[in-house]
Amino acid sequence: MEDFIPSIAELLEEETVELTDALDSFEAWDSLTILSMIAFFDSEYNVQLSAEEIENSETILGIKELVESKM
Amino acid sequence: MNLKFKNKKITGILSVLPENEIKFEDEIENYAFSKSQSMKLKLIMGYNKRRVVKEGTTVSDLCIHGLQHLFDNNQLDKNDIDALILVSQSPDYFIPSTSHVIQGKLGLKTDMVCLDISQACSGYSIGLSQAFMLLDQEDINKVVVVNGDTYSQKVSIQDRGSRPITGDAVSITIVEKSTTDNTIYGAINTDGTGAEALIIPAGGFRTPSTAETAELVQDSKGNTRSLEHLVMKGDDVFNFVQREVPPMVDKILERANVSKDDVDYFMFHQPNKFMLKKLADKMEVPYEKMPNNIVENFGNSNSATIPVNISFNLGEKLLDNSYFLCLAGFGAGLSWSSLLLEVGNLDFCEIINYNN
Repeated sequence: MEDFIPSIAELLEEETVELTDALDSFEAWDSLTILSMIAFFDSEYNVQLSAEEIENSETILGIKELVESKM
Repeated sequence: MNLKFKNKKITGILSVLPENEIKFEDEIENYAFSKSQSMKLKLIMGYNKRRVVKEGTTVSDLCIHGLQHLFDNNQLDKNDIDALILVSQSPDYFIPSTSHVIQGKLGLKTDMVCLDISQACSGYSIGLSQAFMLLDQEDINKVVVVNGDTYSQKVSIQDRGSRPITGDAVSITIVEKSTTDNTIYGAINTDGTGAEALIIPAGGFRTPSTAETAELVQDSKGNTRSLEHLVMKGDDVFNFVQREVPPMVDKILERANVSKDDVDYFMFHQPNKFMLKKLADKMEVPYEKMPNNIVENFGNSNSATIPVNISFNLGEKLLDNSYFLCLAGFGAGLSWSSLLLEVGNLDFCEIINYNN
């Protein structure tokens, strides 16, 4: 998971992100970014997430814990 | 379900596309998305232009136009058609079946089999499999398989999830007995627990059309549609395809004792460019062996996308050459299916337009 933060930052079109950042605080936070995340976690971690699960995660940390719980 | 067919072949493919073309840019003001978000959507999904029928045009109109074209050009004799299989989820009527409407309007012989199969994006391999089975009959020598939909009429103009991919098309495939010895491998899979992943909730017998079912309602994502419109759970469909299609292909190749390198092209259903690229990545197949340009040129026309893909990307090359193809379709049902077969030396393989 060491490339998790830089990868998430790239998907959100930000230089860097913090684990405590709220997902809906990002300008690029929309259904397309969520789809990009679904595809990213499927190909990089072989973890399948639904759009609803990602939305309910609320923060970057929430997504990280969600992914880890399915690995 | 593993399937295997002996001594059958495709001898011609004709795709019929409505002339009416819509550009993605012309519709973005309908979507609850900023212009920059819409342009990002266009780039990632590969949206550009798509072909849709005008109101009132149905699958049987496109099909009759295509078959008449083949009769007029002496590429098909109407008396040789022993069976007509129509794979569609946009029938002209609930009763009777659309294949019978087509048979009647074209004056085909009465001594023939007509069948409608209700399948969407997975329907090409399923229709062909049915044709191969019919050809085991002594008296059936030529089967016409028609795949197509006009479901643009059932997608809300304010649904950015489904609207920009939707295209209408019909494709006609001629299937015959082969005199040379060959084996075609097939697979059909079903998961009806995912029935709601791609659904038009109202308008059938379960929930008939009423004033309420026609009411437009906005969802949490800002897409507005009624219960009579197609609704797709995009993330569920994406995950289903990435999970089920690669192992299905691995299994069919293994049964045929061939590798991915032996396959000339993976001619897959065309949901959007993004999903096809992700599939190719996961399967470790180069993009040039898995064309993904049908949605950007014509739109996604359910079970017609594989033959449209073949007509558009291989086309005339199939008149003098032969390629080893792996076909795969996946979508509503849920359903996923595949065929592994040699296709070539066709009598025709082209696209014509329908002017309505």
